[in-house]
Amino acid sequence: MSTATLSNRPFAGTKPPATDNKPRWERAVPVYGVTVITPFFLALVGLAILSLFLTVYREVVGLGPASGMNDKFGWGIWKTFNVVVLTAWGSGAFAVGVVAWAFGRKRLFPLMRMALLTSMLAYACGLCLLGVDVGRPWNFYWVVLPWHWNLHSPMAEIAICMSVYASIPLFLENIPPILERLWHVNVKWQPAVERIEHALHAFFPIIVAAAYLLPAMHQSSLGALMLLAGQRVHPLWQTPFLPLLYVGAATFMSFACVAGTTMLCCLVWKRAMDMEVLDEAARISAWTIFGWLAIRNLDLLFRGSLFTAFHFTSYAGIFWTETILIAYGGWMLLQSLKTHKRQTMFVGYALSSLGGMLYRFSPTTLAYMPGPHAMYFPSTIEILIALGFASIGIAIFLIAVKLLAILPASNQEWRNMAAYYKFRKPAISRNKYLGFFDHNELSLSDKKSH
Amino acid sequence: MAITRRELITNIGKAGVPVAVAMTVGPQALQAEELSAPTEPLSLLYDATLCIGCKACESACSAANNTEPDTSGDGLHQAPADLNVFTRNIIKLYKPEDGSPSSFVKRQCMQCFDPGCVAGCPFEALYKDKDDGIVHWDGGKCIGCRYCTISCPYSVPRFQWLGFNPVITKCELCSHRLAKGLKPGCTSVCPTSAVIFGKRSALLLEAKRRIKSNPGHYYQDRVYGETENGGTQALYLSRVPFEKLGLPEIGPTSGPSSTLRWQKRIYSYFALPAVLYVGLVTVIRKNLKGHEQEAHEQEKETGLRAQL
Repeated sequence: MSTATLSNRPFAGTKPPATDNKPRWERAVPVYGVTVITPFFLALVGLAILSLFLTVYREVVGLGPASGMNDKFGWGIWKTFNVVVLTAWGSGAFAVGVVAWAFGRKRLFPLMRMALLTSMLAYACGLCLLGVDVGRPWNFYWVVLPWHWNLHSPMAEIAICMSVYASIPLFLENIPPILERLWHVNVKWQPAVERIEHALHAFFPIIVAAAYLLPAMHQSSLGALMLLAGQRVHPLWQTPFLPLLYVGAATFMSFACVAGTTMLCCLVWKRAMDMEVLDEAARISAWTIFGWLAIRNLDLLFRGSLFTAFHFTSYAGIFWTETILIAYGGWMLLQSLKTHKRQTMFVGYALSSLGGMLYRFSPTTLAYMPGPHAMYFPSTIEILIALGFASIGIAIFLIAVKLLAILPASNQEWRNMAAYYKFRKPAISRNKYLGFFDHNELSLSDKKSH
Repeated sequence: MAITRRELITNIGKAGVPVAVAMTVGPQALQAEELSAPTEPLSLLYDATLCIGCKACESACSAANNTEPDTSGDGLHQAPADLNVFTRNIIKLYKPEDGSPSSFVKRQCMQCFDPGCVAGCPFEALYKDKDDGIVHWDGGKCIGCRYCTISCPYSVPRFQWLGFNPVITKCELCSHRLAKGLKPGCTSVCPTSAVIFGKRSALLLEAKRRIKSNPGHYYQDRVYGETENGGTQALYLSRVPFEKLGLPEIGPTSGPSSTLRWQKRIYSYFALPAVLYVGLVTVIRKNLKGHEQEAHEQEKETGLRAQL
């Protein structure tokens, strides 16, 4: 990679031209000056605690009384929504990362920390809930005994690959913001933190490469899961291309998750948006969507299943809902590139990820036909646990963006933050931000002048 | 000239690509998946035209496997509605509205030659015996993911929905009785010999003999299970279409071999993932180096600590 392309307008690259007054995302800055504990946060914590109690109930009485699952529908929303759908939505660390690092779209760098954090949380919550969902979790220790793996099973691939990915590469990728925070807390810790950072950076290529390979494997295996169900998945969804389509859906859904969540955070916490970065993300997202739609519909056409989409059935209805949501979302993303309306872009992301979620959900549940009189609807306890585990993720997200440098902003924003902490010590001590910036910022500039 | 580390990795990567591609789509892989058939498969032959629906096999099955009788129907009689965690074997009635011939059907594990449940089971908790071909469940390995209930085309394995220590229940052809020299529970009580037990080869001959001596009597003059789903060890004869009895027309290719072909090839010897990994490491190492350099340049310029 030559320096010419590097200085395109990277996250940590050259300074933008002085004449340009557009907001730039130059570095990640914590959301400062707001408390972590808000009514919304407390509601999330309440839901999380409730779900943990309900989880204990589920472990004691079994899956039957706690959920709507039955002999015909062996899988409920814990697997089909929290694992299959939410990990796709949260696979930004993979999709945005591959585009940014492997395909060299360096403009996307400012979004990486958001991508890594959302992925980490989505995967952690999905895996925890998978542990709640399986009937005999104590046998999970077979994961560490490779000679007992049935590598031809998509389920084994998911169980092994997902837990390895979330616990090693994805976890390590999320370490730098934490180290940075520690670096700022105490001057005495700085040499030690720098040593760890140095060691981590030395291993980054092999860690990051694993963080791109493993999700590609298990996100496709999630699609391969339903291949074995054969005729019981409606022909509008059942195709040998299911693994590919699942990875494709994960790609545009996670772009929507990362860029959409960043936009939402910018709105909520009044951050400026770098439209150059967001436009790039929207462009990639839109073209992924249209490519994906083309592959899906060509496959349907060549298999001759497209005609069933014109039957008057609920399956056709689901198919059209998915297709229209995804296509209209993609079209809105393209529109937003022309009109420069953030609202259009955000709604485009929201619609395309809703459509993608529906697509990932359908083969396992809505379009799964295990026989006559088969019926599944999640029980209240099941829904509460699913929401509770998701709210644990959101709560940790809210803590993380306020304590760690995750959300992108300008260099000026960082200086504003340093000034804020310098002049409002009482507020700092109340929020336990004490010592985060005041003298460390000065010590940094001293060190650099030597 | 000495080879640098990067060159070494790149060269390994370059050499690996053709090897990995060859391993993935190579001639051996392109051959039809060969099933390692059990040496002496044991079978059931069920002739629906002989079955009188007395359900003696149901209670015999419960007794043989020591499962609680399922009296959830009326609280008195053992009358399960379907296979469930108490019921490994069930007699069902197919009775069409239009008055065309009705039929009983006995449902239990088909003991497929290439079972979907075994193909899907992540840690080999379900496994097929190499000699008699019986598909067993091992509670010490099962994580309770219930993928078998989805991957079995006959919906046979059933999960226990109550309690903290759930099990998977399926017909294991009374292998504990076979070890004692006894026949499976269901075949030992059938009053009309609608279901008989024996070696698969012998039962297949018997089924074909019945078809030959009664031409037109059986649906399509066909034995269900001879080739269906790659061949099953439970064999069926019937007057009414098999599909009406809940035996789907799957075709001679088994579910796993027709759907997991690419899964198997892509992961064969882990060659393709390994090559991809090496390629990714090379690209990312290059990009990271440039990024780090720039971040440090910017740190000097702005006086703010570099974020990597």
